[in-house]
Amino acid sequence: MATTASPAAAPAGPAPNPLRAGLRLERIAEPCTMVICGATGDLTERKLGPALYNTLLGGFLPPEFTVVGFARRDLTDEAFRAHLLDGINKYSRNRPAKPSIWESFAAGIEYHRGDFDDAAAFTELAKRLDRIDRDRGTAGNRLFYLAVPPSLYPEIIGNLERAGLAASGEKRTTGPKHGWTRVIVEKPFGYDLASAQALNHEIAAALDEEQVFRIDHYLGKETVQNLSVFRFGNGLFEPIWNRRYIDSVQITVAETVGVEGRGEFYDGTGALRDIIQNHGLQLLAMFAMEPPVDLSAEDLRDEKLKVLRAVKPMPPEDVARNTVRGQYVNGWVEGERMPAYRDEPEVAPDSETETYVALKLAIESWRWAGVPFYIRTGKAMPSRVTEIAVQFRRAPLALFSRAGVPQIDPNVLAIRVQPDEGILLRFGAKVPGQGLNIRTVNMDFRYGSSFAVDSPDAYETLLLDAMVGDASLFTRNDEVERAWAILDPILDTWSSGEGGPLHFYGAGTWGPPAADELLERDGRAWRRP
Amino acid sequence: MTGSRSATVERERAAHRRLMRFGVHPGQVVPMWETSDTSVQAIATHLSSLWMAADGAAEAAPGDARTVTEKGLAHARASVLNLIAVVIDDQAADRVVSTLLELGVRHPSRAIVLAPHPGSSKRGIDARISAHCTLANGGGERVCCEEVVLLVRGESAAHLAGIVAPLLIHDLPTHVWWPGDPPFRNPAFDQVVELCDRVLFDSSDMDDLAAGWRRIAGLRRRSGSGDLSWERLHLWQELTAQFFDAPRFRRYLPNVSRLRIRYAVAPSGATGAGIASPMAQALLYAGWIATRLGWKRHRTLETLTAGAFRLVLEGRHEMVDLLVEPEATDAVRAGDLLSVRMASRGETGAGEFIIDRAVDDAAVATNADGMTALFRRVPMLPRSEAELLSAQLALDRADAVYDDAMRAAGILLASAREVTA
Repeated sequence: MATTASPAAAPAGPAPNPLRAGLRLERIAEPCTMVICGATGDLTERKLGPALYNTLLGGFLPPEFTVVGFARRDLTDEAFRAHLLDGINKYSRNRPAKPSIWESFAAGIEYHRGDFDDAAAFTELAKRLDRIDRDRGTAGNRLFYLAVPPSLYPEIIGNLERAGLAASGEKRTTGPKHGWTRVIVEKPFGYDLASAQALNHEIAAALDEEQVFRIDHYLGKETVQNLSVFRFGNGLFEPIWNRRYIDSVQITVAETVGVEGRGEFYDGTGALRDIIQNHGLQLLAMFAMEPPVDLSAEDLRDEKLKVLRAVKPMPPEDVARNTVRGQYVNGWVEGERMPAYRDEPEVAPDSETETYVALKLAIESWRWAGVPFYIRTGKAMPSRVTEIAVQFRRAPLALFSRAGVPQIDPNVLAIRVQPDEGILLRFGAKVPGQGLNIRTVNMDFRYGSSFAVDSPDAYETLLLDAMVGDASLFTRNDEVERAWAILDPILDTWSSGEGGPLHFYGAGTWGPPAADELLERDGRAWRRP
Repeated sequence: MTGSRSATVERERAAHRRLMRFGVHPGQVVPMWETSDTSVQAIATHLSSLWMAADGAAEAAPGDARTVTEKGLAHARASVLNLIAVVIDDQAADRVVSTLLELGVRHPSRAIVLAPHPGSSKRGIDARISAHCTLANGGGERVCCEEVVLLVRGESAAHLAGIVAPLLIHDLPTHVWWPGDPPFRNPAFDQVVELCDRVLFDSSDMDDLAAGWRRIAGLRRRSGSGDLSWERLHLWQELTAQFFDAPRFRRYLPNVSRLRIRYAVAPSGATGAGIASPMAQALLYAGWIATRLGWKRHRTLETLTAGAFRLVLEGRHEMVDLLVEPEATDAVRAGDLLSVRMASRGETGAGEFIIDRAVDDAAVATNADGMTALFRRVPMLPRSEAELLSAQLALDRADAVYDDAMRAAGILLASAREVTA
């Protein structure tokens, strides 16, 4: 026996829980404390509180789980709990909260008052977290959620570091020498490449990249996750997922709403930064990536990064040709009158900010060379829809045209992310009867009618992922920077005035006519989603 | 003789009346089709024309937006499985009807209810087919189901498989559900099971647990078997596992020295009303812990009497005192667990892990490491039979953890019946 090579040493850490084997919940968060910076804000009330409560009801939260709300407002623990409870009773998909369950959960909720620029507040926070570790058994595991404007990130992260709160485990200078520290940050992450790099740089001074979880809630949606299952779990689609069979791809992220009181923020941002930089390019990367070696976060993000690196930044002389930017004027959406963008509060009356953008991008890889990717997003569109539509090449020979049948429409595979998540395949079929008539029919699969279950909200999935330490649905620093590198030349060319005019479109329409021309030029047309 | 004949006829009529209720579902989309003394061929033909009729009806009423989906397709039907339910007695007929109606919303399926009446004087098949759709997910999506009820009389009742096979939707998983004590000795049982990928039953309904579990273990279907009693334990297992997800408590696990399980029985008597084996869940839970922690049978301390027993098992490091006892209450369903207490020794002293159930929630406490007891309340709502069935239908694979637990539960039961030395 001694002659045979012994297998690898036992894995680090304690043996796995033998009772966990075969249970349905395989991802269980370790005991931890979640510190919400900006705990009195809108995000906490609308999203984080309800997400935590639903995760609790699902049985996913460890018994030791503790929440510390951290903000400037002078609140008692009781008042902060009441604030969270209000949000749950208003916005949770399971509401109202059940009193006995809530009370026992609320016993693990505290409030920490302090200013984010006050180092002493963070020293106090460190003491509080040590005490929680002792009292509630949270084992030195800390999850910081920065629910604050990005301009405050450097300050908060710097103060976390100075208070000894930024490091994980062994690297800690104070507090427990075990356990992890993770930080979740919200979008927008940067304003352009330079600012994103600067922000990444400042974060990297205090935190290792694997501690940082950049949230893009689109990636938490079931259908986006299902995109990998659809592509890599089925043998049927992958062989045709390339330039030989695919003619073009359209990605649509359409919203019916206007700026909804965020005029000041939006007017300085625009659709390209607000949607394309994160959701749009992430959908593109998930759609176009090569099969990852395995489903680990690093492998997945390596593949997404490769796609983004293959999207060559547009030379300035091509920007006017390959991009269309639009801004809505007054019109009617869903039966309601919508004022023009420039008439919205906090929006400059001569604003040049785009509320609509259509792009033609190319992925220069062996798989995708020559396949145009058309991406569009807009506000005040006729319907709210996010989808990826793949148009396949036509049959090589128009066999039926000899029998007097006109050209058959190409096959389309549409992956709908929201609403009515599902997958639709369009193909031609013979109309029964004598003679040869061909009509396009749809094969329509909907999640809702096959799986009549409640899907978790994206925030529930993502919060749990961060607690478990699974970063696959979060964006890595190099992905963020690469996405900006793709968009920077477009932004620069637009602001220099060389990027073509700002087009106007009526609220409640599918964007300016120039966007249609972008496709007509190539002999194609936008899908009516 | 005449008496038993008329009793048979009366039973048949009662089953008829109960199964008729399928026809009055509010989401019904086509007129119910009902016919007596028909053929399998005629039933299959009607089933294939069913949705065309529904589409026709929708076109005739274009104003009714609900019948036409956004893409203009009426009744876009998605089916994920075939479900066969076999009704052997009247009581089961009631259960099947109410459960399947509730279930349809969760699992778009073709449900075939077989009611065999082998003792009937007449021969032939009576069929009743209805289709209905329900708006699920807050009204966004239509979930559609078909129910086929077949009353099979006389000799045909011994050949159920040949009647059902042509009526299944091809290429979909097929599950059979036996409400009540599965009739292992009935030839129809093996025939129908042979057609299916997964067999669903409830251990608590089995009169003879030990024999029933032996038979179930020998079935070997592609997707294994699903036990509703096991499904009822799901949250208990989850909560138990959670005690030991924290690495510092995991070291208590090999040293468990006492496990005490209390389960509910109806106050009126030792056996629960309508529950044949109220001890099934407690045994399965004990069997689960025993197999996960590698406990071995050692000796019997107190033989099974009035639903209680006490065994000594050999754990990894300690001898384990296992105590299972009933408690009369009508606060929860008979057979459900009321309390689990696990005692162990860690490096810094004794630890106790407690789950106590109230009506619709449970108190969960960890008392270990000499620190303040971790205490919380978690929801534990009673689950309907349809919910349990639904959760089991969602699993389309064999569950090795269950198979192990069931075998161990059988061994524990046999040990409990041994006379103490």
